[in-house]
Amino acid sequence: MFLNRSEGFALALPAALFTCLVFLVPVGILLSAAFQAEPGVWSLQGYVDFFSQPLNQSVFLRTLKLGVLVAGTSAVIGYAAAFCIVNLPASSRGRIFGLVVLPLMISPVARTYAWIVILGRTGIVNDVIVGLGLSETPIRLLFTETAVFIGLLQLFLPLMIISLVSAMENIPQDVVPAARVLGASWFQVFFRVILPLTKEGLVIGGTLVFTGALTAYITPAILGGSKVLMLETLLYQKVNVSNDFVSASVIAMILIVMCFSANLVLKRIASVRS
Amino acid sequence: MAKIEANAADPVIDMAVISSHDALSLARKNLLQAIDTSRLQSFDKLYTAAQDPIGDNMAVGYTFYASSIVYRSDLVSIESWNDLLGEKLADNVALPNITGTQGPLTLMMLNKAEGGKPGEFSGTISAIGKHADDIVTFYSRSSELAQLMNQEEVIAAPVGRFAWSRFKSSPLPFAWAEPKEGQAGGMNVMIMTANNGNEDLAYKLMDYWLSTEVQTRIAEALIDSPANTEVKVSDEVAENLTYGAELINSLNILDPAVIIANRDVWVEQWNNEVIR
Repeated sequence: MFLNRSEGFALALPAALFTCLVFLVPVGILLSAAFQAEPGVWSLQGYVDFFSQPLNQSVFLRTLKLGVLVAGTSAVIGYAAAFCIVNLPASSRGRIFGLVVLPLMISPVARTYAWIVILGRTGIVNDVIVGLGLSETPIRLLFTETAVFIGLLQLFLPLMIISLVSAMENIPQDVVPAARVLGASWFQVFFRVILPLTKEGLVIGGTLVFTGALTAYITPAILGGSKVLMLETLLYQKVNVSNDFVSASVIAMILIVMCFSANLVLKRIASVRS
Repeated sequence: MAKIEANAADPVIDMAVISSHDALSLARKNLLQAIDTSRLQSFDKLYTAAQDPIGDNMAVGYTFYASSIVYRSDLVSIESWNDLLGEKLADNVALPNITGTQGPLTLMMLNKAEGGKPGEFSGTISAIGKHADDIVTFYSRSSELAQLMNQEEVIAAPVGRFAWSRFKSSPLPFAWAEPKEGQAGGMNVMIMTANNGNEDLAYKLMDYWLSTEVQTRIAEALIDSPANTEVKVSDEVAENLTYGAELINSLNILDPAVIIANRDVWVEQWNNEVIR
């Protein structure tokens, strides 16, 4: 396409320089603090200190747990929704897909505040619970892990559905009917036909959802508050309350490692299956 | 505070308004300069407690605030700070986070209600930890609390009087408690950073802010309660503020030096026993 390599290089140079100057360099400087117990003294003491605190351990495990749960639940719901969408007539498919994408066009702040109204003691969920006689009085749903889980799931499920719809659209139309005709149960169809053929979409969707759940700030802050701290809300506290940039940098580095690890693990799982 | 510390060699902030314990923290790091009170025309009009709140003239108080418990008067009554951890408020109460200004004040009053030694909050934090599941959330901002109480998620919580107007205008029946242990109180102060080079302008702003006219207007707008003794406001306005010598002198004030000396220990214990 290019006359020579230098032409391609010249075209990519502005974007590469911009990314380096405004992202990689400042992030690198910031993260370098995670390896300096004191200015100029390199060590891993920040990580030792961080993981020696029981609160930090529980925040780390909670973040990991919610990330895995949100990604896993998104995959289950996402496969069902994506399978349904790709089998719709073309005219309906566009409309339904638009509805899936619609929440992504609304601010996460607005979406999360809506959950406060829904999950509150005077909200719809409690109205139903009390109406059905499941509880005599409204129950507390806000500021719990459940509330954060629901908020994150709603926030990132569309990303999983989009990834899986794209992957499923590439499956040859005849393979599922062929498998059924040959006697495969729906369970076998999913695990031996659909899943292997859509693993790339699952890896992309899983990475996006897991990374998003890990790094989301607004939803855990609003729906979890200080009772359900996650790494991202703890990071904010370290910077804005404790003025502890070393711990904040350690948390940022842990989040980056977790995100990259998730992608590697998902790719590994996908490759093992094939 | 982070900005003042990060730019200590070449200050980008000349003066600031801040809590008295944060001011003391900055003063101990030699980031502030003593205020020349002769350059403040309204200095002598200030309440005595506001004239040199952290020592060495490192700050001047510009507003007081009482802190008590706001509650739903149709559902509960509050007699004591201990009611916050009692059975009748279980699952319906919010407390301020320890990292804010209201957190240590609440600890002080709970400690007083339990008959604890002044400034020794370890037992109080443990008591809160035991009731952590009964507490809806630990809020950081009064606006956040107002929203939760208006949504009926919470029916009682300690809060600064400066936030009372948010509750008073609500259609729900909120009341301001007068617990038998009294109300807590705090002060926000003005500080001047060291070697900022803009001292003249900073003094002008401070003098303007502390003047009777400006303090009156700020009070009438229900923004801050006055530290200037000559400010006169209507009963209706006074009702929303921490106003008058009698009230101000009755407040339980937590020594900023006690907060500075113990905050890290409190936060660590809080994180381990309350937030978990």
